[in-house]
Amino acid sequence: MSYNANITQQKTGALFDIKGMQSKVKKFVGTSLPNFPKSVNTASVKDDISLLHIGSNHWLLRAPLDQEPALTEILRPNDAPADLSIILVSDTLSFFSVIGPDADQVINIASPLDIHPQAFPETGATFTEIFGLKGLIIRQKDGFSIAVEQSYGDMINDYLSRVMA
Amino acid sequence: MSNRLATGGRIDRARPLTFTFNGTRFTGFEGDTLASALLASGATLTARSFKYHRPRGIVSAGVEEPSSLVELMGDDASGNNAITTVQLSDGLVAKSVNCWPSPQFDFGALNQLISRFIPAGFYYKTFKWPSWHLFEPTIRRAAGLANAPASAPSTGHFETRNAHVDILIAGAGPAGLAAALVAGKSGARVILADETNEAGGSILNRNLEINGKPALEWVAKTVAELADMPNVIHLQSSTVWAYREHNLLCINERSPDHKTVLERNWRVRAKKVIIATGAIERTLVFSNNDRPGVMLASAIQTYVNRYAVLPGKLVVLFTNNDSAYGVAADILAAGGQVKAIVDSRNSVPQFALDRAPGVEVISGYVVSDVAGRSRVKSVTVTSRDGESERSIICDLLGYSGGWNPTVHLFSQSRGTLKFNTKLAAFLPEKAVQACICAGASSGEITLSDALSDGAAKATAAVKSLGFKLKPLKNLAVQQSFYTVEPLWRVESSAKGKAFLDFQNDVTVSDVQLAMREGYSNVEHVKRYTTGGMGIDQGKTGNINIIGTVAMEQNATLADVGTTTFRSPYTPVSFGAINGLREGSVILPYRHTPITSWNHENGAFMYESGARWRRPGYFPRGDEHFQDTVNRECLTVRNNVGCYDGSPLGKFELKGPNVGEFLDLIYTNIMSNLAPGKGRYGMMLSEDGLILDDGVALRLDKHRWLISTSTGHADAIHQHMEKILQFDQPHWKVMITNVTSQWNNVTICGPNARNLMKKFATNIDLSSDSFPFMEFRDGTFADLPARIVRVSFTGELSFEINVAPRHLRDLWDKIMAAGTSFNIAPIGSEANHVLRVEKGFLSLGHEVDGTVDAYDLGLSWIMSKKKSDYIGKRSVDLRRAGNKVRRELVGLLPDDPNCQIPEGAPLTPSGKKQATEGLVTACVWSVVNNRWIALALLENGRARRGETAHVRLQNSVIPAQITAPVFYDPDGKVLRS
Repeated sequence: MSYNANITQQKTGALFDIKGMQSKVKKFVGTSLPNFPKSVNTASVKDDISLLHIGSNHWLLRAPLDQEPALTEILRPNDAPADLSIILVSDTLSFFSVIGPDADQVINIASPLDIHPQAFPETGATFTEIFGLKGLIIRQKDGFSIAVEQSYGDMINDYLSRVMA
Repeated sequence: MSNRLATGGRIDRARPLTFTFNGTRFTGFEGDTLASALLASGATLTARSFKYHRPRGIVSAGVEEPSSLVELMGDDASGNNAITTVQLSDGLVAKSVNCWPSPQFDFGALNQLISRFIPAGFYYKTFKWPSWHLFEPTIRRAAGLANAPASAPSTGHFETRNAHVDILIAGAGPAGLAAALVAGKSGARVILADETNEAGGSILNRNLEINGKPALEWVAKTVAELADMPNVIHLQSSTVWAYREHNLLCINERSPDHKTVLERNWRVRAKKVIIATGAIERTLVFSNNDRPGVMLASAIQTYVNRYAVLPGKLVVLFTNNDSAYGVAADILAAGGQVKAIVDSRNSVPQFALDRAPGVEVISGYVVSDVAGRSRVKSVTVTSRDGESERSIICDLLGYSGGWNPTVHLFSQSRGTLKFNTKLAAFLPEKAVQACICAGASSGEITLSDALSDGAAKATAAVKSLGFKLKPLKNLAVQQSFYTVEPLWRVESSAKGKAFLDFQNDVTVSDVQLAMREGYSNVEHVKRYTTGGMGIDQGKTGNINIIGTVAMEQNATLADVGTTTFRSPYTPVSFGAINGLREGSVILPYRHTPITSWNHENGAFMYESGARWRRPGYFPRGDEHFQDTVNRECLTVRNNVGCYDGSPLGKFELKGPNVGEFLDLIYTNIMSNLAPGKGRYGMMLSEDGLILDDGVALRLDKHRWLISTSTGHADAIHQHMEKILQFDQPHWKVMITNVTSQWNNVTICGPNARNLMKKFATNIDLSSDSFPFMEFRDGTFADLPARIVRVSFTGELSFEINVAPRHLRDLWDKIMAAGTSFNIAPIGSEANHVLRVEKGFLSLGHEVDGTVDAYDLGLSWIMSKKKSDYIGKRSVDLRRAGNKVRRELVGLLPDDPNCQIPEGAPLTPSGKKQATEGLVTACVWSVVNNRWIALALLENGRARRGETAHVRLQNSVIPAQITAPVFYDPDGKVLRS
């Protein structure tokens, strides 16, 4: 009996790293993005686009890859003012989805993060540790999305296979 | 002979099991331990002691077992298991450790003949002449107990898991279960973990009642109630083995309910911890107290009640407290004969006497000696004043020295202990972390006290966490009492060894010897004698050691104190601690999108910095290593080669203060770099030594891209963030790691541009339009790309940066287009040769943590214009001392075919004197057709043209000192 969870590596998606004061980001980017999350380590979603608050004045914008060109036009990374940093980082993370009744158990094996709903709500999104590496965990319907630095993708695949063995 | 009782016990008589012990087949039942099954079969002699190889039997019924360790064979293979903790299974194969050929006949018993010459600490005074190494092989062979398993289990794997709870309860005896009920009903997140295979603790081992019914019924009801609570995780066969900082505890679950998981180690962060780990009975100390058939009184009670085994027919009990009388009652109820209870106290409480009517009680007496070698035959009973003595024939001696609250976890949490004279035991005093002891572990020894204490402590914990309490039903338990008079050792004229620590063969005379030799502190006594340092950690006997030290010093136990309790509480398999981290994931590894191509094309791969797996070289056919490296170097020097340069660290910096920031962290000026251009830079640490080097590109007015060495990327990121967060928090500089956003193929060689021209691009690649140390953004081979003209090989070189999603496509296109140029991929080994030929420095070779940029001939990079930068002051201070410095030079061995080992020392004239330098690199240079080397040599630059000498163990290699560059010294090729 293995864990009752489906684990799949996701394809590359669009990802932008945004740093700067929230008011200045809003002013530069306009209203195309989801609302800024009210709490740290949470995400807000609008259509297919997620905005993750991952640090002080630091967000990740995540969307399907086919939206990368359109988002690049909206975000204009090369034209951002001096005190705003907007950088395309789509290829820097390898994402995996962990879905199913035992998704919690799989995450508890991978990470020391407290994923109880009281500690990690529906909108939870945070950097933490995954199999000893810096990693991102996002709560999603019926499970979680996790991500590590792209070059560690094969290693995480390896680890997850061992969990499910 | 069978000691199995006809009825009773918590064994399943419908499921007989067969097992093998020391080559002999036995039978037992489901629910037995190896110990109980052997005792049932009449086995008494099950072990030999560590040093003296004295015959030993089974002393306890639990993890505190000090005498009998076994090695398990076959699929269950593991070493040094306490015999009392091995759950019996069908087909189990076990053998005693530390004896040959058997416990019954052991050659090691010869040690008993020389025992007076091998007391504690004898090895500090022996095995010295003529040399320790003469004795070392024999001692190493003899050392240790069981063998480690030869291979991993054939099926299954280990796992580690994290958990967060409101309350962790260690121990599912009466106090733990009561606490779990309170905590669980409140809705708190609870983990209840217990080391044995079923809940109940001491209730399993005694005939007790709760609410007028067998206490076991209350246990079953409670366990069922807890199972219905989704907020409670109840783990049995799970030992809480470590209490770490910030309320992090480790639990070793030995029988997880998962088919393929052998053991699971939980790492639990708890807001509150309730330590309900009970108490452990202690031994008594008298002559020959280690003989087979001498066991803890509570162990006899456990074997009778839980396993339906009466390990002897004629029983004598020796005690200093009341609990042995309950043991007598249970033995009598099971049909056994208790010849006498020897009570060291002059006066025995009536309630105790009432428990064992008809049994002779000899108060004011002690057991002073035991007769029998392989089995107890009789005991000598002596009055406390030594005036009167008698012998009692028996085949089983149960002793009880009182109860030690199990405070190990509390002590591991750094809580303090205090000696309680009423209980004659150390009790928890002051907690340092959010934990509390409950039940017997806090000194509440009786059932009624343990139950109420467990509930009370959980109530306090639940309230403090803000949960709502739900009342528990009152439990009616008959009041019982416990009194004890300490007896740390029996003093008599008997000559036999009196053991304090059974597992390491530590006797009273050993402790006395240690103290005579000046080791008077209990920590020193422990280490000198090794008392308490065995696998059992002295659970049954440490307090007697403390008592003996106190007696010798005429002090109190409070004065002597305890030694430090350390994890693990009981042994934990390495597999459980390691979890999934084995095989290919034992260390992290990183791949690029080209890794699979490398494997497909026979690359020899290894880690080269920051966990990246990179190709060392690409052998073809029957090529040897040097043939391959030579071929790859020639390809680059004469034609065109390519390599995957993706792992280099890359960071994008944005902000109005980036220029100042880079001027601070680099030794040269960066702020005046124009957009579109790049500059090589060097970073120093605060002590002026070289930290890293790399190329910085200015993307626009406020945007930069800096590169670092592969191995130092993370360290440099931390270095930069630390400066910005601590030293210069007012600077607006935002750093983003883009190492894996830009992967690259580097094309290098005289035909590099010709190959590049075969691809569609909107970038003018001519040398006039695209000079060295500049970059261009555009498209290349129909892919968005950034091309940089840098060179790590000394050849014309283009670094084509694309997103990783495009890298494999780009690589395949380049390899296909390059066939007409006989393009070849090159690995790290060839890169090393090429950079040595150019005299380019390498972190870890020339940059060895002692040299600065001036030593390496890089004075040009140390800005004279900047008033300050990190490391400047330290460099200036160091060089102001005018000490002789080692400087980078080239070396040409007089014999061109003579290879110099990298790292070899240079000494004056090759003599056996202090070194004046070392060889940092030596490679076969295809363009020079000879071995060449780089070295750090005192006053090297001034000695060019002279001869230096490499001193090896058996030879001296003379070499001419040259400039540290052997190819294209003016850099014309790479700028072409």
